[in-house]
Amino acid sequence: MIKWTFLKELGEISEYDQAALDALRKRVLGAGLVIVFFVAMILLRLWFLQIHKGEEYKNRAENNRVRIQEEAAPRGDILDRNGKELVTNQPSFNVVLVREDSNDIDDLLKRLSVVLKEDVSVLWERIRDAERKQKHIPILLKGNLSWDTLAYLETHNKEFPGIRIEVFPRRFYHYGDMAAHIIGYLGEINKNELERQEADFYRGGDLVGKMGLEKLREKELRGEKGSSSSEVNARGFEQQLLTHEEPVPGNEVRLTLDIDLQQVAEDTMDADERAGAVVAMEVKTGRLLVLASTPRLHLADFEGGISTKNWNALLDNPKHPLINKTLQAMYPPGSTYKMVTALAGLAKGVINKDTTFFCPGYISYGNRRYNCWKHGGHGTVDLKRAISESCDVYFYQVGMRVGVDALAEYANKLGLGLKTQVELEYEKSGLIPTKEWKKKKYGVKWQDGETLSLAIGQGFNLLTPIQLCQMTAILANGGKRYVPQLIESVTDADGKVLESFTPKLAGELKEDEKKYLALIREGMVEVVQGARGTARSARIEGINMGGKTGTAQVVRLEQYKHLKEDDIPYKYRDHAWFTCFAPAEDPEIAVTVLVEHGLHGGSGAAPVAKAVMQKYFADRMAVDAIRKAIIQ
Amino acid sequence: MFRVDRRFLRNFDWVLLSLLVLVCGMAFLNLYSASYPPLGGMPPYQKQGYLLLMGVAGIIFLISFDYKELHFWNYPVYLLVILLLALVIFVGNSAGGAQRWINLGFFQLQPSEPAKLMMVITLASYYSRKEVANGYSIKDLITPIILMAIPFTLILIQPDLGTALMFVIIFISMTVFAKLRWSTYLILGCSGIALAVVGWLYVLKPYQKQRVETLLNPAKDSLGEGYQILQSKIAVGSGGIFGKGYMEGTQGHLHFLPERHTDFAYSVWCEEWGFAGSLFFLGVYFFLLFWGLHVAMSARDRFGLFLAFGVVALIFWQAVINLLMILGFLPVVGIPLPLFSYGGSSLLTTLLGIGILMNVSMRRCQAGSSLEGCDDV
Repeated sequence: MIKWTFLKELGEISEYDQAALDALRKRVLGAGLVIVFFVAMILLRLWFLQIHKGEEYKNRAENNRVRIQEEAAPRGDILDRNGKELVTNQPSFNVVLVREDSNDIDDLLKRLSVVLKEDVSVLWERIRDAERKQKHIPILLKGNLSWDTLAYLETHNKEFPGIRIEVFPRRFYHYGDMAAHIIGYLGEINKNELERQEADFYRGGDLVGKMGLEKLREKELRGEKGSSSSEVNARGFEQQLLTHEEPVPGNEVRLTLDIDLQQVAEDTMDADERAGAVVAMEVKTGRLLVLASTPRLHLADFEGGISTKNWNALLDNPKHPLINKTLQAMYPPGSTYKMVTALAGLAKGVINKDTTFFCPGYISYGNRRYNCWKHGGHGTVDLKRAISESCDVYFYQVGMRVGVDALAEYANKLGLGLKTQVELEYEKSGLIPTKEWKKKKYGVKWQDGETLSLAIGQGFNLLTPIQLCQMTAILANGGKRYVPQLIESVTDADGKVLESFTPKLAGELKEDEKKYLALIREGMVEVVQGARGTARSARIEGINMGGKTGTAQVVRLEQYKHLKEDDIPYKYRDHAWFTCFAPAEDPEIAVTVLVEHGLHGGSGAAPVAKAVMQKYFADRMAVDAIRKAIIQ
Repeated sequence: MFRVDRRFLRNFDWVLLSLLVLVCGMAFLNLYSASYPPLGGMPPYQKQGYLLLMGVAGIIFLISFDYKELHFWNYPVYLLVILLLALVIFVGNSAGGAQRWINLGFFQLQPSEPAKLMMVITLASYYSRKEVANGYSIKDLITPIILMAIPFTLILIQPDLGTALMFVIIFISMTVFAKLRWSTYLILGCSGIALAVVGWLYVLKPYQKQRVETLLNPAKDSLGEGYQILQSKIAVGSGGIFGKGYMEGTQGHLHFLPERHTDFAYSVWCEEWGFAGSLFFLGVYFFLLFWGLHVAMSARDRFGLFLAFGVVALIFWQAVINLLMILGFLPVVGIPLPLFSYGGSSLLTTLLGIGILMNVSMRRCQAGSSLEGCDDV
């Protein structure tokens, strides 16, 4: 009833003014315009998103959907020339946390810290470092688990949700720290390296070679990463595997080094705590057999980043273990330089086989007196004796006559003052002075007296042990300068040889120069085999060896002159050189030893070379011994 | 009361019905894909099917009587809806920190949805009965403002800012449409700004403020609100010209899209059907709205005109807000795309609104009509 009354009342006001109604209808058209405005806006936006930016959003949808995971490739092995394994991989077990699988990280870490014997704060620190990464990316909590910890975690894995054990290949050094400077070590890639070329290969956290061959041959050793792509949903759960690519193992690098010889060299140096370098090289090819620098580096200290404490200890060590002394350090050559003087003298026609000089124990030149090491003098000496007894006066005379620039010319021909181009970092080129060099460097004229010092290896001249070894090889092989090389072969995972050793000739003496070498070699053989040679102690029964000792003055301080050698402070003692080749009849190998502050070449350095030679010829000498026994 | 005049049938709006069927068909198709893979329980598309049937029943009921009777029924319905809105605050089911639903057993009623339609009818009834030559003064608006403010406040308390603002938008649309004096505009404008400032400072909850801030600077929070908008843009954009194909959308099926079968249903459509499909849908959808305006223009009286206009405004503003949100122009406000998004209360309400449109359309030729095409009245 109420309703009808109400509607009846309405009826009275429903007699509307037609004009008002028409006016209202016109306003509907205005509403239509509002709709048109918004429709246009929506259409433009759709066009912008779907057509103008369509490709971009397609890619983003694809990136949303597809997760790519990388799989580390096993790094290539490093072998010695005989195939003995120097560096290979062994599995290392790491604990990682995947945050998306864990709901109570706080509690988890508390329990885990007991198992891992790590402080909770340390574990939190690791997570905080990686906090910006997506939640499905594993965060390394601790690497290199012990077997006990590994076994515990594997058997109790249900108690640690989100915790996984991942296997990473880790470098294993079969010979410990042997050849550490050559092999080098791995470390986490740093920001600079990531920004350099090939940055797209690496990700933060990857291990790359930081020194030595691990660094230089990084591209070959690293292999190719494997990857798998899988479709994931918004929560990061994998829906299906889309593609999978196996990693390609790194290439195998075989060195020219003979690890047994290397070991003898390093152990002999180490035995008396000698700091220095040993280089052994095949004279007819340039293959390096030994490249040792002591004190050795302790590679394990570098794994996973070296601590500041260890690093500072290395820097502060007076024996400079960080420096590869075979090629990164330069020393005055001492008497080993006399071969250069001899060759220059012979080639310039200043002396010949029979030329003699009288040695009274000194020579006066200008207003100065230049002493021979033997104060009593050698008397009348020819070239052979001058070399074997290392007569300074003889070489003063030769040096005086040929001049500084001729000495430099022949030093260069023997590879001194030039980088050998061996495949290692930071090689020094040494220093061979000339008149021009001094003028440029010091702005003063060359004094002829300086040539005298130079002729016996005590002037400005500096060289590296590997240069001296190369020079010895040139003398021994008859004039060919081979580049010292370290790589015997590089082989890929399928056994395909990608690179194999070929001798590289860097230079050669002229034919008329070569003929003088035999004469020099004769003198060198006398050094070892002769009755008054300075390296008689290095003599090996059954093998004829040629060599030359050298003593390089570190300082010329009069205050130490009167002291006994053992009382001179270590850092002021002379460096000891010995360089040699064998067999004298048909040389195969050259060995050069430098012992820092080792005092005398004959006593300080020669025993090390002798040990290396003995090892090198051990098999042959054993055969000879048997043969002799049979004949008798 | 249920007497059906043959003339009504002859005047039945078949165009409107066809457009409705087309839109609902696309919505149903899309819902199947958007709710794939099924999560268990009754799949949403099936539920939507039942609700469509209920809605059809509601439409038949609504066109069976002359819409002028709504002048009367409006009052009891208004009271009932306010009661439900009050009830929802005390016994409602909550989700995401807001209480919006009343459990009716077969489905969860969200009273704020029918409240919107009720608001349209109430305002249409008020403005159609109060005719003013030079536009309304502020005094004339006191009653409608109070009628609007009651549901607005109740919904704001839930809290559901997006829906509450819909009431303001409907109110403004219909009031402006009804014509205001300039002084009224000035007063309303100033007090509106003042209210907004007070609201921002004292009423808005932190998450609501964050939504607005996220829109202004989406990069700030890529895994929160900005993430949803970003994923929606990726879904729409990656559709390209012809789309990834039905059931082939990755953004939806792999759960990157939030609320993919409710508020973001149109993102799924755009991803799978591309620019071409998106355009087709919008064409049909906005044709339906223009047809609604056509119905308004051809209404026989002031009430019918206001009713039709109000229903169109209600659907239009929700659609525009939803689309602009999906396309990254507006913050995530929880406004569905009427007829297209999954959601029983919204669907039923919209269908009832369409029913009112049909009612107005069918009775355009009755006494008082001056339109062409209406013979022998």
